[in-house]
Amino acid sequence: MTQRWRLVLLIPAFLVLATAAAAIILGLPAFGHPLTHYGTAVNTLAPALRNVSNMVAAVNFDIRGIDTLGEESMLVCAVTATVILLRGHRGEDGSERAGLIPGRANAARSDGMVLMCRLFATVVFLFGVYVVLHGTITPGGGFQGGAIAASSFILLYVGGGYQPWRCVLHSPVVVGLEGFGALAFVLCAAVPLAFGYAALQNVLPLGTWKDLYSGGLMVIVNIAVGVAVTGSFGVLLIEFMEETRAPKGHDEKEGA
Amino acid sequence: MTVLAWCVAAWLLGMGVYGMVTSRNYVHLIGCLSVCQSGTYVLLLGIGFRWGAGPPIFYNHPPGTPAVDPVVQALVLTDIVVGAAMTALLLAIALQVHKRRGTLDTQHLRPLRPTE
Repeated sequence: MTQRWRLVLLIPAFLVLATAAAAIILGLPAFGHPLTHYGTAVNTLAPALRNVSNMVAAVNFDIRGIDTLGEESMLVCAVTATVILLRGHRGEDGSERAGLIPGRANAARSDGMVLMCRLFATVVFLFGVYVVLHGTITPGGGFQGGAIAASSFILLYVGGGYQPWRCVLHSPVVVGLEGFGALAFVLCAAVPLAFGYAALQNVLPLGTWKDLYSGGLMVIVNIAVGVAVTGSFGVLLIEFMEETRAPKGHDEKEGA
Repeated sequence: MTVLAWCVAAWLLGMGVYGMVTSRNYVHLIGCLSVCQSGTYVLLLGIGFRWGAGPPIFYNHPPGTPAVDPVVQALVLTDIVVGAAMTALLLAIALQVHKRRGTLDTQHLRPLRPTE
């Protein structure tokens, strides 16, 4: 199909979309006056019921925790599929140099930049851990904190280059983190079931309001998600960085 | 003013679709898909917004003060994480397509068949 025909077909599609969007926009409640009773109920009841101050975490890890379990599985499946698509026979030992493809920049780094990247990687990683651990109290949680912690891996790469980076970040470690986090989440859902409760039922003591331990089982689920997200993003980084390396020649034919 | 947020969401969806239809590059197409998805962020956060309400985190203000809907915020969080993972998956497919076909032009891509 040519470009012109696509555009011609797009016009009626947009007309339908615009009509539907207009109908929906006029039917939606006025902006700033929501009709969502579920959220209001959560805001009213959850602080007293669960001893947590972050309602988003309460929804994610307790009240609608089983949905988050599904989402976590989607994340793990997507990462697994990416790894299957990308993984060749390259770089598992991490011994070969990267970035030596002709025409691709391979500038030397200054010592100052390496030092700054290492310092900030530590700070960023600790900040990610902080955001995960305080997930039930202040804004943040496993997903956000995990992403922040994983971004410190990029800083390590920027500072050190491929080879030192692979010496620090081992593929089995991040894969293990991802799998362990996901497994811990599943266990949090399954163990209460084994004792005759509902899945993900908050069976642990709820802890103290505004304390690092507040929310009972939510704390464990939150940390499990943080570990899994850190691992997942680490796996993605490693697999995509592998692609920047020059292939060994026979690699292109493999798996065809 | 009351319909601005919904119009922005619809506009983002429409522009993403336009970009996908006219795209000449697979990576550009993935970016357009992300634009479509950001429409859902605007829509969800707009639905939960309440005038004069604070964040649904009762740390500095006690429970009982008006707060926006936490359910849609949790949904947006889910949306962003799954979106990031799916973008990574699509980019991995783009890499493989480029290895096999030597092009990422969506006009020249045909269904994958076994080579040789």
